[in-house]
Amino acid sequence: MLLFKPRIAVAFLAGLMALAVAACGAQPTRWDEAQDKTRGKKAVSTDAYEGSVFNKFFPKAESPFDLVYKQEKKGTAIADLKQDGKPVATLTIFDTVSNPDAITDYKESTQALAGFPLVAKGAKGTALLVNRRFQVQVRSTDDAFTEEDRKTWLKKFDLDGLAQLN
Amino acid sequence: MSEPIFKVVDALPAKNMTTRVLHALDWVVPGQWNNLVGFENSIKVISGEDDQKMIQKIGERAIALYNDKGEGYQTALWLYRMVDNLQGMAGWAALANKIGENISMLSLMNKLTPKADTTQGIDFCVKLVVEIVAFCKLNGIPGDSVADFVKSLSDYRDEALMRMAALICLDGLLPLGPDFMVKALGFLDKSGAGDLEKNERYQQVKSLIPGENAKAQLGFISQGVGAVKDWAGKFVASRDLGTDKLVGSLKNFMSGIDGKLDYVAALLDMTTNYYEHTGTQSVARSLIVRAMGEI
Repeated sequence: MLLFKPRIAVAFLAGLMALAVAACGAQPTRWDEAQDKTRGKKAVSTDAYEGSVFNKFFPKAESPFDLVYKQEKKGTAIADLKQDGKPVATLTIFDTVSNPDAITDYKESTQALAGFPLVAKGAKGTALLVNRRFQVQVRSTDDAFTEEDRKTWLKKFDLDGLAQLN
Repeated sequence: MSEPIFKVVDALPAKNMTTRVLHALDWVVPGQWNNLVGFENSIKVISGEDDQKMIQKIGERAIALYNDKGEGYQTALWLYRMVDNLQGMAGWAALANKIGENISMLSLMNKLTPKADTTQGIDFCVKLVVEIVAFCKLNGIPGDSVADFVKSLSDYRDEALMRMAALICLDGLLPLGPDFMVKALGFLDKSGAGDLEKNERYQQVKSLIPGENAKAQLGFISQGVGAVKDWAGKFVASRDLGTDKLVGSLKNFMSGIDGKLDYVAALLDMTTNYYEHTGTQSVARSLIVRAMGEI
């Protein structure tokens, strides 16, 4: 006499396998490594300047432009540039002490603006590095805001003032 | 709380009761809200970048920033979630998904209990204050900066503006009528700390509302709601918002709702989580925008 009927045994095994797959969790993703590396860790260096320190180095916007400050956190300050009330770009000053990887791009930089190394950050961003530490970036949020516009606005930051910080 | 941000954004539904209701409110804030779901997709749309290396860098920095509890993104998400999670909601949400494309109010009325106006008024106030606190957490300003929040309201857009539109329409106008702000503030004045303590939404989020006890928190809530009164008044007036228009837009998928606004409000309360849904989208946007500047 059989202790287990084959059909029941197969169903039982299939059930077990389904449970095992469920227990293993979801499929691996491209973000798992970053998640494992940073879980519960600090993302901002204690040595970073406060974001509020950077505000005075942002461009002065005159009509039809307007600057609206958004996030201001340790090591970073972000503002939206608006033209006639419509957002056209995001302006950021970032203390790279919190993410030194950000400055590796500049080692291959062949361009300079106002005496500071200049790089493209993707297709929509243009950035320069002040004193090998502060990244100043302008990113288009409107297609009409071109790379030339980004460079124009990068020059409007008080870059020399920022360079006095360290 | 410790759930990875990419999983939370990936889990946002492309279509459910919440998204249907929000789409129905598009006329209130035209074109402001696209239901942006999926972590990678959100990075692509917000950054405008297609290059996979660039997307990877932005995503990795965003994950790191989220995982640093001190940066406030986890707290903001927690607030948006908690204020939207009420007892019994899971069962109703499951029911709503089964109902299909058209909801007949008549068939549901015997299952619903409209909330008392006082409860609804306090709910509205607590949700608004959650927005103030979450806004401060996301933007790095002190948690009680009501003035900064009010100043920024005129600059609200995308899912954040839709959240405010839905708050005014679904938690204000629908259950309380056109003078919802006056009513809500009146309930706060009359009811006091005791009634606040009995409110389920308040209980869910009170640990993060500024103030050392219910009385002090009531003061903060009154101050916050009072400060938003003018903005809300202008929001309603400039769009000529009224219950008729609102009912008209909801009728596209809900039938038999005329004259049953308190039941509709109760149903939406139990079957949608627009604060959590759009709040998750706001947290993702803040993270991605910041990460773009930090890579």
